[in-house]
Amino acid sequence: MAPITSSLFAISVFAPLGGFLIAGLLGRVLGDNFAKFIAILGMLIAVVFSWCVLGNMLHSGISSTIVPLFDWIHAGSFNVSWYLRMDMLSVSMLTMVTSVSLLVHIYSIGYMSHETMPTYRFFAYLSLFTFSMLMLITSDNLIELFFGWEAVGLSSYLLIGYWYTRPSAVAAAIKAFVVNRIADLFFLIGICVLFILSGSVFYDDIFHKIPELANTQYHLFSYGFQAYEFIALLLFIGAMGKSAQLFLHVWLPDAMEGPTPVSALIHAATMVTAGIFLMARMSPLVEFAPHVKMFIVIMGATTAFFAGTVALAQPDIKKSIAYSTCSQLGYMFVAVGVGAYQVAMFHLTTHAFFKALLFLGAGSVIHALHDEQNMFKMGGLSKKLPATCLLMWIGCLALGGIFPFAGYWSKDAILEAAWMSGSTVGYYAWIMTAITAFLTAFYSWRILFLVFHGKPRDQKIYDHAHESSFVMTLPMCVLATGATIGGFTLAPYYIGKYQLAFWNDSIFNAPTNHIMTLMHHAPYLIAKAPLALGILGIIVAFICYIAAPRIPVIMASGLKGIYQFLLNAWYFDKLYDFIFVRPYIALSKILWKVGDQEIVEGMPVAVARITDRSAKGISWIQNGSFAFYAFTMAIGLVVVLATFLIYH
Amino acid sequence: MNWTLAIPEIALSISGLIILLWGAIQKKGNAFFPCAILSIAAFVAVGFLTLTVSNGVGYNGLFINDEFSRYMKILIIIAGFLSIILSIDFNGKNDTNCFEYIALIVFSTVGAMVMVSSNDLMTLYMGLELSSLALYILCAIDRKNVFSAESGVKYFVLGSVASGILLYGISMIYGFSGGMGYSTIHQIIASNHALSAGFAVGLVFVLVGLCFKISAVPFHMWTPDVYQGAPTPVTTFLSTAPKFAAFALFLRLMIGPFGHLSPQWQLLIEVIAILSIIIGSVGAIAQTNIKRMMAYSSISHMGFALVGLAAATPDGVMGTLIYLTTYLFMNVGTFAVIAAMSRKGHVVENINDLAGLGKTDPGIATAMAIFMFSMAGVPPLAGFFGKFLVFKAALGADLYSLTIIGLLASAVGAFFYLRIVKIMFFDKAVEALDQRSLSLSFVTFSMGTLTLVFMLFLSPMIQMGQIAAQSLFH
Amino acid sequence: MMPIILFYIFAVILLLSAVMVVISRNSVHAALFLVLAFCNASGLFLIAGAEFLAILLIAIYAGAVMILFLFIVMTMQTNLVQLKEGMQHYLPVGFCIAIVLVVELIIVAINWHIDPNVAEAARQPLLQNMSNTKALGSLIYTNYIFLFQMAGLVLLVAMIGAIVLTLRKRPTNRRQVVARQHMREPNQTLEMRSVELNKGVDDLGGYLRPKETYYGIAQEDSFGPKPGDKMDITEKRQEREQSK
Repeated sequence: MAPITSSLFAISVFAPLGGFLIAGLLGRVLGDNFAKFIAILGMLIAVVFSWCVLGNMLHSGISSTIVPLFDWIHAGSFNVSWYLRMDMLSVSMLTMVTSVSLLVHIYSIGYMSHETMPTYRFFAYLSLFTFSMLMLITSDNLIELFFGWEAVGLSSYLLIGYWYTRPSAVAAAIKAFVVNRIADLFFLIGICVLFILSGSVFYDDIFHKIPELANTQYHLFSYGFQAYEFIALLLFIGAMGKSAQLFLHVWLPDAMEGPTPVSALIHAATMVTAGIFLMARMSPLVEFAPHVKMFIVIMGATTAFFAGTVALAQPDIKKSIAYSTCSQLGYMFVAVGVGAYQVAMFHLTTHAFFKALLFLGAGSVIHALHDEQNMFKMGGLSKKLPATCLLMWIGCLALGGIFPFAGYWSKDAILEAAWMSGSTVGYYAWIMTAITAFLTAFYSWRILFLVFHGKPRDQKIYDHAHESSFVMTLPMCVLATGATIGGFTLAPYYIGKYQLAFWNDSIFNAPTNHIMTLMHHAPYLIAKAPLALGILGIIVAFICYIAAPRIPVIMASGLKGIYQFLLNAWYFDKLYDFIFVRPYIALSKILWKVGDQEIVEGMPVAVARITDRSAKGISWIQNGSFAFYAFTMAIGLVVVLATFLIYH
Repeated sequence: MNWTLAIPEIALSISGLIILLWGAIQKKGNAFFPCAILSIAAFVAVGFLTLTVSNGVGYNGLFINDEFSRYMKILIIIAGFLSIILSIDFNGKNDTNCFEYIALIVFSTVGAMVMVSSNDLMTLYMGLELSSLALYILCAIDRKNVFSAESGVKYFVLGSVASGILLYGISMIYGFSGGMGYSTIHQIIASNHALSAGFAVGLVFVLVGLCFKISAVPFHMWTPDVYQGAPTPVTTFLSTAPKFAAFALFLRLMIGPFGHLSPQWQLLIEVIAILSIIIGSVGAIAQTNIKRMMAYSSISHMGFALVGLAAATPDGVMGTLIYLTTYLFMNVGTFAVIAAMSRKGHVVENINDLAGLGKTDPGIATAMAIFMFSMAGVPPLAGFFGKFLVFKAALGADLYSLTIIGLLASAVGAFFYLRIVKIMFFDKAVEALDQRSLSLSFVTFSMGTLTLVFMLFLSPMIQMGQIAAQSLFH
Repeated sequence: MMPIILFYIFAVILLLSAVMVVISRNSVHAALFLVLAFCNASGLFLIAGAEFLAILLIAIYAGAVMILFLFIVMTMQTNLVQLKEGMQHYLPVGFCIAIVLVVELIIVAINWHIDPNVAEAARQPLLQNMSNTKALGSLIYTNYIFLFQMAGLVLLVAMIGAIVLTLRKRPTNRRQVVARQHMREPNQTLEMRSVELNKGVDDLGGYLRPKETYYGIAQEDSFGPKPGDKMDITEKRQEREQSK
């Protein structure tokens, strides 16, 4: 069983690559439709096989398996090979990523139908992204992981800047790339330090060494650090970049410049979860870094709160959902920080369903309104877009954590785990996330009410609106199903009574870490508080945007400072511009004028001049005379002999 | 006495004699092509014989066959084979299509193979003379061309000086060790830890004689003139087979009989390698004739290959072997392109004659670009791996200064290689070159492909190289 | 004692004549000094008991090679002034190099110590009861057969080289088909007459021309008639007479 499963696994990983290569290289020649067909076919294969693998894994209980792919050089001590790692963590991610990706591929057929340019490039990039993500999650060592990590960043860059004629899209693409790059630097340093300490980049080797190296000190600038604290911190900073946590989140809202399916796939369901995945994958290491775990909890909770507040004030439908993503990622980090990696993975999975659904729904609205994204120009669209409206409702119910939708199960679990961790930071996290639960429900229904209910604010836009085609609503229906039933069907496996058998040791909990059992014993009031807060959020939203629409206007004008503060996302962009960007540009100018033009360019010119002269000299020596040549040999002989005799 | 050890050499010599006979009884001018075909068949057959012949020492200790000699012989045979293919078309153009040409290449190859298999200083000298003498004649074979005559005479006179030096060295070694067999010398050195000065002088003289053959600085002065004057297929042969043979001797002598003295000769090899790399790389920049440029290029390549020897480890020898292999592909390919350079039936050799080749003949220009990039050591082409392996070995032997200087000089070297690419693709097209013949296209494109896909064969090549290198270090 | 005296006599003359080879201005003199040097070297061989090598040296170098060399020197024009200029130009450099080399070799010579057994070993012939020539022969054809054959190849290559570099088709050459020249009878070409006594050429009808031209036996591609030219000279003569 295992060999077949592992080959299915490998095919599932590489099918999107095939789709990318064929669609990307031959798309221009064979036409758009062919490219779409191939890309979707590749994804379909990946999905079917990944589900088969999941089924096999569940039935036969295969524990983690190494799948060797290529043996490139194997000579002596020089060994370069390529392995995949098949365990429940990677397989569950594989299934989720391929499924969401397939749905987004299908959705894109409809969404990109208005494009004037051929769209084979778009589908090729989507497949490339999927492959990169799969490489990331199926890697067997940190180098492969880093390869996938960077490839994901690259394809994200390509897709955000897909409409390369728009300056804002190009700027957003560059911003996303650069911010991720900064985080990647820390991640890379983390890998290097880990390699120095454990002598390997393979997970198995590293995890075996962990207990013996647990007390190693790492010295940097003559300060001694607990080695694993230091490494885990570096890895977490890397994860913060990809998962858009506070201070490194600035790229995510701007990334909404890309086509909406991209936002759904990359900036909601998959890529941004890479950071969570990394933490879960490195759980054996993170478990030994208690201080970093506390730091993670604080960062996660703060991010959740911060992004929730910002989402309140955004007029742009996509940006609003983007900040919501940011906020939900904060939840997941809280779970990671308290040691409940399984819960984080659970929320990651349910979030993938409902957030992809919300983005696709938003895309459907935007598509229907011919690229209008401002919510204050919408309203009352439930009559024009009944299907989209219904699906968006499901998505919001899930996001808001309303029973029995998916979000309820996972979000509740996080809050319970935070409370039951029993530490101060745990309580801090519980308070922040509980407030955020209220905010989440509020901004979700703000979106719903502004877009679908009330009166049309712009009659012209309203009149031209039309319901999206079947090819767009179908994937949304599938996701809506997931968002509805995903919670209670998956909960027993991910976090409930079957979780030990399900994860099958692919996630590590320290022997002292009992959070997975403790969390089920949260006090009744604590457990039900998020639901109550969510419902309260809905009611407040109803009052503000349906019953008394003047309230938000008054509040915005009355509390202008706070409103602007929230609208500008706590002024992070301005702050960074002031602290980093401007000094950087100034420094660059100095380096350009003095360093580059005078020193760096001057040196090669000087070297070139010397080389040129000596070349002429050598040509001049080559005068064609026998005697001269013979003498040169004789002199050479004498010199060589003298050297040898003296040295000897 | 196990005479079958030398079966490949014997077979090739007999083929040479048959070619001579066949050519002598044919009418003038008609003999060239059949003789060429005959020699190609002989090369292929001898290649197979070389692969199958058994290992061992024969002819009263004069002759040795091992994995190392097999590896080098195959390289030499390929070089001879390709030179013949190049000459099929080229020699018709400048009226050097005489059958003696073929016979001489065959005999020179025999000499080179004997050099590789030498297990005695006398065998070394006989092989060297056979291979060199044939080459002197080949260089001068284009009698209408003054440059060809000049190149033949220069090579002959300077080569004789080098032979004299080598012989003097051999006599010193004989005088101080009492034997000429490698194993005898090895034993003597192993038993006497202190090296007598006379022995050292002998060693240096032998080393100098071999340095002349591989055109290492400061014994390189003949190279540009000879390369330029000799007909292009001869230059191709000259820049490959005898160099491989001399390198084989170098490795065999330095690692085998003189292996115990490695701390003493290492510095010498290092200096020679550095000088060769620098002079070769810098000297090529000022050249306008492409064959002269290739002469300097081969000087620097020999320097790089010596880096592997300077390491004096199995890894270093393996690196040198891989380096020479990649050098064979790149070099023969480049010379095939040079052989294709003719305009209205006249051979042209200026670098500027390549201008605009990218437009007038994109196929060959691409191949040339591949060779140039590979020679510059751009990954993932063949040349990169050769450089990588020798420098890796040098680092492994703690030769840091050598590595740093070598890498810097290779950056200088990249300049003139890339200049060719620039001239081909970005300069204004001059008149197009003549239609190239099928044989030249074959060599160009097969070598181009090999250079391009070398990385796929890297693993087996390294393994073969390691086995060959190990056989020197028993 | 006698061998030692002879050794020094031969050695001194050998070195002096070698020096003279280098410094004498006349190249014929130089060549003759070289012959002298060879003769003395063979004397040294004789002292060492290598009579075969001594004879070889005389026969091949002094006898054949040097005679050939003298031929060349005498038939070639050599510009002595130019040679001298080159010599002066490089003399200082050459001198310096020579000095250094000599110093280095002296260093070597200082460290030289001869194995005490060598002198004894040198007197022992390799094979008992065998002359030098026989011993050499039995070694060359057994132990050193490989090198012997290699030497044969080297000589063959040298021969090929000599031919291929010097034998050239000049269009002014007239080469015969030797076999045809040997085969032909006198009366095929010439008019055979029995000449009476006391008669002048004029009385016998003037000078006669050969019946056939030289070209009849010329090789096809050598200097001569184009294909289709008349071979028989008598026809030509008749044509000429008729035109008169």
